Amino acid sequence: MTYLVSLFLFGLVVGLVAVASNPAPYFAALGLVVAAGVGCGVLIGHGGLFLSLVLFLIYLGGMLVVFAYSAALAAEPFPESWVDRSVIWYVLVYLIGVVAVAGLFWGGWYESSWVVVDGLKGFFVLRGDVSGVALMYSFGGGMLVVCAWVLLLTLFVVLELTRGLSRGALRAV
Amino acid sequence: MTPVHFSFSSAFILGLMGLAFHRTHLLSALLCLEGMMLSLFIALSLWSLQLEATGYSAAPMLLLAFSACEASAGLALLVATARTHGTDRLQNLNLLQC
Repeated sequence: MTYLVSLFLFGLVVGLVAVASNPAPYFAALGLVVAAGVGCGVLIGHGGLFLSLVLFLIYLGGMLVVFAYSAALAAEPFPESWVDRSVIWYVLVYLIGVVAVAGLFWGGWYESSWVVVDGLKGFFVLRGDVSGVALMYSFGGGMLVVCAWVLLLTLFVVLELTRGLSRGALRAV
Repeated sequence: MTPVHFSFSSAFILGLMGLAFHRTHLLSALLCLEGMMLSLFIALSLWSLQLEATGYSAAPMLLLAFSACEASAGLALLVATARTHGTDRLQNLNLLQC
């Protein structure tokens, strides 16, 4: 499990390098999908099965479909991948920078610091985060109401931004 | 700083640098913002998982709800930009009238 989580952590950094190095939005969305999937692996490795499930289903299922639609909206005939001349330098610079900063911390990483912290390891019906998220419906009810209100408000913001007639926030169309 | 903490911290810094330095497309900036929110989600989750503070497991969920708001507002701005300017390249937004 330690090796697997280490591999997932490496993949998380590489996925964010792939997003941040400014390729075409197709490939950046691909890098974000890889980073989100690998982040699910990190959370699974630490015993957070419900949070990783939420990340996988809600994040990848909901948000990335919308991003695929928007990437199709901003389509190009020849999208730049990571091996293009303008992108590969940023990839190399970011990777070298991360490795250099990791080298600063390398002396403090003993073998025990790679071990996954999971105190409740074993077979349980109910893990900690499942019951923790369920607290959102009792003690966190106020924040739940605030979240629902913010989501409703965002719906009206989106509708006003994309209305596009003579009324609304954007009148140029 | 353990390797886990280093990983999500460097992921956040990488997303921030990508947002600050590369602004060819508006969608690329939104994707960098999403990467930052992803690393923040992982950070909050790992905080509650490593400290066994299970009562704070609701905090990443609320963060995910707010990041959904941010993403939808950004995508609405992207659609509005594509409708007014024809493209989402940020250099076109500097033009006075087109």
